[in-house]
Order: sequence, then C-alpha cells, then structure tokens
Amino acid sequence: MAIALGALLAFFVVAVIAYPFVGSQRYRLVSQRSVNREKLRAERMRVYRKISDLEVDNESGDLTESDFQAQRDLLRVTAAKILREESGPDGPTMDSDEQLEQEISRMRDRSTRSSEGGGQSK
Amino acid sequence: MADLGVMAILLGMALSAYSVIGSVIGVKIEMPALVVSARRALYMTMVAAFVASGALIAAFVQNEFAIKYVAEHSNSVMDRAFVWVAFYSGNEGSLLYIVLALSIMSAIAIWFAPKRMERSMPWTIAILAFVQLFYFFVLVFFASPFELIDIIPEDGRGINPLLTHPGMFSHPPMLMGGLIAITIPFAFASGALISGNYADDWVDVARVSAILAWGVLGAGMLIGAWWAYTILGWGGYWGWDPIENVALMPWLVLTAFIHSIMVQKRRGMFRMWNVALLNIAFVLAQLGMFINRGGPVVSVHSFASSTLGIIFLSFMLLSLLFAFGLFLWRMPQLKSNRAMESFMSREAAFLVNNFLFLAVMAVTLWGVVFPLFSDLARDVSVSVSAHYFDRANGPILLGIVLMMGVGPLLPWRKSSARSLKRWLAWPLIFAALTVIVLVALGVKRPIAILSFGVVAFTAASIMEEWWRGTAARHRSGDNWAMAWWRLVNGNRPRHGGYIVHLSILMLGLGIIGTNFYQQRTDGALALGESLVIDNYRIEYIDSDSSSRSDRIAQWADMSIYRIDPADYADEISFARAQGSDGFTLKDSTRRPNDRLIGQIQPWHGFYTDFNMVSVRSGIRSTIVEDLYVIPRDFLADGRISLAVSINPLAWWLWASGPFFILGTMVALWPQPVLERRPARSENKIRAMATGDL
Repeated sequence: MAIALGALLAFFVVAVIAYPFVGSQRYRLVSQRSVNREKLRAERMRVYRKISDLEVDNESGDLTESDFQAQRDLLRVTAAKILREESGPDGPTMDSDEQLEQEISRMRDRSTRSSEGGGQSK
Repeated sequence: MADLGVMAILLGMALSAYSVIGSVIGVKIEMPALVVSARRALYMTMVAAFVASGALIAAFVQNEFAIKYVAEHSNSVMDRAFVWVAFYSGNEGSLLYIVLALSIMSAIAIWFAPKRMERSMPWTIAILAFVQLFYFFVLVFFASPFELIDIIPEDGRGINPLLTHPGMFSHPPMLMGGLIAITIPFAFASGALISGNYADDWVDVARVSAILAWGVLGAGMLIGAWWAYTILGWGGYWGWDPIENVALMPWLVLTAFIHSIMVQKRRGMFRMWNVALLNIAFVLAQLGMFINRGGPVVSVHSFASSTLGIIFLSFMLLSLLFAFGLFLWRMPQLKSNRAMESFMSREAAFLVNNFLFLAVMAVTLWGVVFPLFSDLARDVSVSVSAHYFDRANGPILLGIVLMMGVGPLLPWRKSSARSLKRWLAWPLIFAALTVIVLVALGVKRPIAILSFGVVAFTAASIMEEWWRGTAARHRSGDNWAMAWWRLVNGNRPRHGGYIVHLSILMLGLGIIGTNFYQQRTDGALALGESLVIDNYRIEYIDSDSSSRSDRIAQWADMSIYRIDPADYADEISFARAQGSDGFTLKDSTRRPNDRLIGQIQPWHGFYTDFNMVSVRSGIRSTIVEDLYVIPRDFLADGRISLAVSINPLAWWLWASGPFFILGTMVALWPQPVLERRPARSENKIRAMATGDL
C-alpha cells in the first residue's frame, strides 16, 4: 500500500515538472519591457505612498509647511515623470530607472537651492 | 508508513536538487521551460514534505513502534493531543518539521511574488531550493525519522515530560519556523543581487517576509519564556541559555532590519546596510541550527546530536561565505547616492537604534561562543553566567527603549531645535513625574527608578504621537474614535510599530519588576503548617498522588491568605535578622487580619523512564505581582519542600504577548489600493504627466 502511494506520488510530481516541456503552452522568458513596465508601476505606487505618508506627517505636525510643500511637489513631479514614461508611445526604455534617478537628483538639487535661497518650489 | 515516508523525503531531495540545477541552467542557457519546470519542482517539494510529515504523524497515531523515532518519543498512554508535539520533539522529526515549514513558506512566497521580480526569481528559487536540499539531504543520510528497529518494543519510551505543556504546541514550531523563515527575505535580496537587479524591487517582499519571521520568532520566544516560568521550576523565564540566545540574536538583527528598511523605502538610503543585516540574520539562524543540533552546548532545549555538528557547522560556514561573498561582489552597485542630512532626524535615530541592536547581538554572541572557543583553544570548559548578559546588555536595552521614545518624535530629514524641544517636553515631564511618584512611594534603587522613567518617557512619546495625529484629524471633522482609527489605518506599518513598542514597554515593566524586586524564600511544610512571605501566608492543607505507567505524580492543596504584617511583626523581624524574605509557621491559627484570597495546587511528577522530574508551579497572578510556589519535592516524612517567590509585575510579561501579535498584524495588514490614496495629488500628477500643467 505504502509503496503504491509512493509510486503514485512520484508519478504525479514527475508529471507536474515535466509538463512545461511536453505541454502545448510555449513559455517565453519575461521580456525586459514588461518587467520595466511593472517596475515603473511599482515605482509610481511607491511615490504615491510617499506622498500619502508625507500628508500624514504634515497633518500630524511632523513637518513645516514649506518642507511639506517642497517635498510633495518634488514627489508629484517624480510621479508625473513616471506616469509619462509608463504611457509613452515606445514604452519604458532599458535605462529608465537610471534616467529617473538622475531626474530626481536634478530636481532635488534645484529644490535644495531654492529652499536655501528662501523660496519655495511650486 | 516508514516506506512512504522514506520515499517522500528521497523525492523531496531529488526535487530540491532539480529545482536548484534547473533554475540556474535555465537562466544561463535561456530555456524558459526549464525555469518553469524548476519552479514547479519547488512547489512539489512542499507536497513531498507534506506526505513525509503526514506519514510520521500517522505512525505516531497508530503507535508504530517499529519506527525508532516513534518508539523513542511516544508511548501507548500518551495523550493523543501530544502527537503534534511528539512529531517535532526529537532531532529527526524537528528537521522534517523545518523542511515542511520552509517548503510551505517558499511556495507561498514564490507564488505571490510580484511580477517585476521575474528576472531574479530563478535565482531566488535556486537559493530557497538549495536550503531545502540541505535539510532533505540531512534527513536522508544522517537523521531519518523513519529508521526501523530490529526488535520492536511493546511500548514506546514516551514523550519528554518537559514537553507535555500547552506552550509546546506553539513554542518549538514558532521558534523553528521563525528561524527558517529568515531564508525567505534573504533569498529574495540575494536573488535580486545575483541577477543584477539593484533597484528596490525586493524591498517590499523582503520587508513583509522579514516581519513575518520576526513576529513568529518573537511570539515563539515569549511563549517559551512562559513555558519556562510555569514548568521548569526555577522561578525565572529567561536564563540566557545558549539556545535561547541563538533565537534572540537573529530576532535582534531582524528588528534592526525592519526599522532600517523603512529608511530605504522612504528615503532610498541604507541599501548596503539592509542587505548586510539580512545576511547576518540568515547566518545567525544557521548558527542557531548548528548550536541546537550540533551538541556543542548543553541546554534544556538542545537536541545535542553531536554527529550532526560538523554538517551544520559546514552549512553555516557555506552560508557565511555565500552571503558575504555576494555582498562584496555587488557592494559598489548598492551604494546609495543620498547622504544623511542631519543627526537630528528619524533616519539617524533608526541608525542609532540599529547599532544598539547589533551591540546587544554582539554581546550575546560573545557569551555564546566564548565557552566553545575556550573549550577548543584551552580545553577548559567554562560557562558564561546570566550575570554577564544582564550587566552587559541591560544598559544597551535601556538605550533601545529610550530610542523607541525619541525616534518617532523626530521628523524625516532634519528637525529644528525648537520643534524638538516642543515634542520632547511632554514625554520628559511625564517621565519626571513618574520618577517623583516612585521616589515618594519609597522606591529606592536608582537603576530601577531610571528604567521606570525611561519606560514612562517612551510610553508618553507614543501617546503624544497618537494625540497629535488624532487631534489633527479631529479638527478636520472626525469624532475622536474615528480620528484615531483613521490615523492608524492611514499608516499601518508605523502605527502597528507603535503598538509593538507598547508591548515592549509592558515586557520592560515585567523585566524591571522581576529583576529588581523579586523576593524569595524556601522551606519545608508539614500538613497544617504555613510559610509566610511579604504579606502572604501559604498554608499546606492537603496532598494527593497518582501513579501511571510513565510517572508518579503528587500535588498539594494550599490556601493563600493576605496578612497584615503587623500581626507577624516578631516573626518578620526575626526572619530579617536571619537575612531571609520569609519564614515557616508551625502554628497556622489565623491571625485577626488574615484573609483567604485563593487556592493553588502545585504539582510534582517523576517520570521513571526519563529519570526526570517535571513540576507545575502554583501561581497566583495579579496585575501587581505573582505569588509563585515551586514544589521542589514531597519528602518521605510527609512534608513538602517549597521554593516561594514574589515576582512583581510578572503579569505584564505575558500581557505584552497579545499586543505584540496585534501590532505585528497591523503592521503587516495590506494597505488599501494605493492609487486611491493621494487623491489630492492624483489629478495634478496626471495633468503634469500629460503636459497640461
């Protein structure tokens, strides 16, 4: 009885792992483009979450109004950039993450300069 | 059942090996069908582990004493409810349980992993399958739970008496499950690094799986402390035993990780640091497996099977080499391009708290490995006492509690001295008031007063956080309850964390109370005699016994009276002069103010097959203190030998458990759909994206 159960189990698992080779479905490696699209979406969600956290921090009095506005504007710009990239005609590019990082750094520098100069980014 | 079990673990080993090889080769030669097949093999290891575990449990249920493991860990009179405990009560069964837990967790993690991690998934699967392969390999070649014996005994030896406790249904599985669960976040982070995915894609899944492992491990340790408190008969709950320590160390590192990962999520910093923390936690978990199974230390928890020592030590060294080899290889890509702007910021507070956690871990690690080194290097056996751990770790733990109060008050990036003063004012005032009240009440020990003050400060800072957030929402129109609920709901990881912090404070109260203000006494009582300690009188009323094939049990009925110490002034002064906290009373005649407040029934069992004593302490627990009565022995002349203690605030230790679990669940509970949340920003962002703004 136990041997029969064991043999049945072995047959079952072999069938499950062999199916990708013999089944009618053809498997492809996930394309870089679809991975990038998914990554951009996740990145946008992360930025949305950061905006949400920022709003909570602001309501709780954890941030000054100017700090809140500067950070929120920066995040909005970042989210808009990602959204544009997501819906762009050619879709995301291979080095979109890197571009995004550079863009964020540029905006952050600008924001820092403007807050040092006493102004607020809008 | 033995044949089925053996076939299942052999199959599990083959499937794990195939999953490792198939994943790696499939990626290298770009053969998608092989990658998919290898992933399915990982799912199938779970089926194999289930079948093997089912076969062993069925063997216990059917009393198949032809299987050595069943004969050694159960008998025909064992309560059937303990079959689950018997399953993992020995080395072989616990290894099978570990591989079952890992295979289930791996399958769930891979099934629900986000699509954006698809490119790194084969590497993650290969790592998970490799760890499973190791455990299946040990099960097949060194520690099979299905080994048969030539001469079948009529009855088994029975389950270890120390394990016949309700806590054993959850403490060992949670501890082992929590330790092995660290493999999941480690595999996701390492898989991402191997595949060259340096973005933060792995962060969410690693954070969730790390919190799960951390929560399970933490709850397991707390249940273990409760088990020790009620059954081990030494009056404590945490002895800095090496096996306790090897569970504590990865938990501490995971605690550091789940804090610093928030900085990576929020500010894009600490990437290298977080990977390093996961690596340390994983290697420490393997160290735990080695210490537990290798037999280098003697412990009430240890399986002490020395033949496995070298195998687990090798695997731990391999883990160390792999984890930090990979880390060094990818280190340049992990560097963050952001710097900390101010030391008066939340990220700086997280960093300080990380260092403190690692300091406790390092002190504990030294205490664990020092006896091993001493034994190896000088052939001298030494042991590190609890005193060392208390003295070295106590101040650091107090620092951690303080940081729990300071950290949440600091904003991200930077804060001004003015705002900091404003935020710290109320917690400081509350802490100062607490200290004043304690001193006025006659509390004398400076360290205890300082500790209570720090606990009060941190509790007040959490309350202030909730008050500020709730008041802000209340001003927007919500009623107070709804405002607080929305506050917590709006950022569950943060507020779940605060609930966990509260549970840690409750734990802290218990630790301070029991460590600084415990009173102990002992004595032997004949029927009708009493033992007096502080304002309790414990009267020995009656005793009874029972005999079973596996044990001789005796128990005593005792009445507890609340007394007025003034009625016993002479005896108390005599006892104090002798340096004792209590005394025995031959004459149990009630004094005028004695008031009956309860009954206890301490229990004492001697297990003949194990030549082992197991006790159940009699405990009268209140929110203020526990009266704790250990029946050391029933003497031949009819007296009972007792050790009695008063453990102040011990109730808070166990009350912290539900809050710890609740906070962990709140932190883990999925957030609402993210797109809907920043409603005020959404339209603006879309307008900006389409160039309308």
